[in-house]
Amino acid sequence: MNITFPHLGNTYIAAKVLFEGLGVDYTIPPLSSKKTLEIGCLYSPDDVCLPFKIMIGNYVESIQRGADTVLITGSCGPCRFGEYCELQKKILLSLDKDIKFIVIDEPAKIGIREFLNRLSMVAKDSKLSKAKKIKALSMAVKTINLIDNIEKECRFFAGFEKNKGEFARLLKTVKLEAIEAKGAEKTLKVLEEHYEKLKKIEIDNFKNPIKIGIIGEIYTIIDPLSNMYIEDILMNLGVSTRRTLYPSWWVKNTVLSGLKINFSKIYKESKEYLGLCIGGHARECIGEAILNYKHGFDGLIQIFPVGCMPEIVSKAILPDIERRYGIPILSLVVDEMTGEAGYYTRVEAFLDLIEGRKKLCI
Amino acid sequence: MYLGIDVGSVSTDIVVLDEKLNVMHKLYLRTKGRPIKAVQEGLYELSKYYKDSDIKAVGTTGSGRYLTKVLVGADIAKNEITAHAIAAINLDREVRTIIEIGGQDSKIITIENGVVTDFAMNTVCAAGTGSFLDRQAERLEIPIEKFGEYALKSKNPVRIAGRCAVFAESDMIHKQQLGYDVSDIIAGLCNALARNFISNVAKGKDIKPKIFFQGGVAANIGMKKAFEEILNMEIYVPEHHDVMGAIGAAILAKEQIEDIGKTSFRGFRIYDMSVKPNTFKCNGCSNMCEIVELKENDINIGYFGDKCGRWSRVAV
Repeated sequence: MNITFPHLGNTYIAAKVLFEGLGVDYTIPPLSSKKTLEIGCLYSPDDVCLPFKIMIGNYVESIQRGADTVLITGSCGPCRFGEYCELQKKILLSLDKDIKFIVIDEPAKIGIREFLNRLSMVAKDSKLSKAKKIKALSMAVKTINLIDNIEKECRFFAGFEKNKGEFARLLKTVKLEAIEAKGAEKTLKVLEEHYEKLKKIEIDNFKNPIKIGIIGEIYTIIDPLSNMYIEDILMNLGVSTRRTLYPSWWVKNTVLSGLKINFSKIYKESKEYLGLCIGGHARECIGEAILNYKHGFDGLIQIFPVGCMPEIVSKAILPDIERRYGIPILSLVVDEMTGEAGYYTRVEAFLDLIEGRKKLCI
Repeated sequence: MYLGIDVGSVSTDIVVLDEKLNVMHKLYLRTKGRPIKAVQEGLYELSKYYKDSDIKAVGTTGSGRYLTKVLVGADIAKNEITAHAIAAINLDREVRTIIEIGGQDSKIITIENGVVTDFAMNTVCAAGTGSFLDRQAERLEIPIEKFGEYALKSKNPVRIAGRCAVFAESDMIHKQQLGYDVSDIIAGLCNALARNFISNVAKGKDIKPKIFFQGGVAANIGMKKAFEEILNMEIYVPEHHDVMGAIGAAILAKEQIEDIGKTSFRGFRIYDMSVKPNTFKCNGCSNMCEIVELKENDINIGYFGDKCGRWSRVAV
């Protein structure tokens, strides 16, 4: 068994730690690129959402490198993501690739027993004792929390740095070094060292950079290829960004909701507008919009793929939040056809708009 | 004097503003897919009237802003949304809404107290923008300048499906085959495009008077009338509506130069330089940006097109 998985932000670093800790064969798909997207578009239905296409591209590139099992998360609906695994399996089968899928659904939906059963399938080939397997899993969880925290802090403090580009450089090197490190322990060590370095980067507390919250559909805001590297671009422009939806957030949220002890602030804030889960992360989008306002952010950028049902609903709600709280919101819709020029023009104009408002202290 | 250059998809506009921001000179050239040539032609024209030392600052805007910035050595390259807004606010502090329809995109900008509060751009289709109208005028064999007059002649505009450029054209052909009057069809088209603009681009935006109509399409009085009828508000078309982007760029350049001091303008002489762009893929990371390198007589004058600044920051 050689396990692969679709890319989602920094999960590949945590996956590496997990599989190396377990002693299981694995393949990390090459970082998503235009080529990945091309492969994905070739084999996917045209109308399906962008994440689906990139994921298919990831699988195919991994299978070429020897993978035979796909590990993904599910959601059991209600948005299209709930059907991804079935459809993707069929597409791969039609390409004469009989690939096994291990779908990690929320324990709340499939029950704790089935959840643990599926987790154990991942470690089937591992010869280690149960205690060591659990240790590997806990190291992976620690990894994802650590790398996501590093990224979060880099992106937020980038607006405050004294020497331009230090946080961007650190973020780039930590990922490169982490993936090249041999073994689970060494990878974690690389992360810990960089986290220490990060704390030492000089920041200027008197700076007043533009602060932007990134909200919207979880995959497109995490995956830089789908959102055309928006966070990197904003970072280069000296803008501080904040995004709550990281893979580590997802892990925590999933576990807590499985244990029915999730009292996240996000849901409290969004309740007035969206009381029910309508699939995807629409409630999180609304809740985050309000929370970002309360944290003193200057503007919000919502990103979602063409045809994303939950985000279309939240897009319709956002103008209300814009008027009520007086926070500017820019909605960007992406797919493989998105033109770069128009996209960046909008982002640039949005930053100008915020700067103009800041000058007048609105 | 301040130079503003707006390199758009269809037209390249160049203006020269004096100290008090009055338009001294304006040029409206066709880009024809060769932005470098269009800018060079414009500068050649201007070199007859001005010396290099007359120009205190240069600003560029439009989709060709980065290329032009490197080419002419501009002090600032700003997006066209900001440029249009700055030009309008400078002309009239009362302006609250700007409808701008250019060659391939249409925008709405809302303004409060002289500050941009919201904007939107067409996303899915270019129906209703300049190049589409251009094409229809060509097909009907009516000069584009006369398009508006035809629309005004109409008494019973027909209804045209304006959601998509291709379908709008099929619908127009269909109406022609049924024998409708050309001016009724043109008026119907203007109405359809204005309706499409209001329900698509301007969806969810507060349209408040005073409204400015800018961009090349504002020359079309048929479109102006269609907007006035749909919004039931008066629409103002500023005198220099076709070069407002360039005016905005020049104003922004003036503001910029107050901060940085000296212009990096490379002079009018670039009109007879042989400037060639060369593109290559950067292999620095998985982004694989396509980098454009500008060469003047085989000497590198600058790079752009990268996302991380690795190339564009290279001092040449």
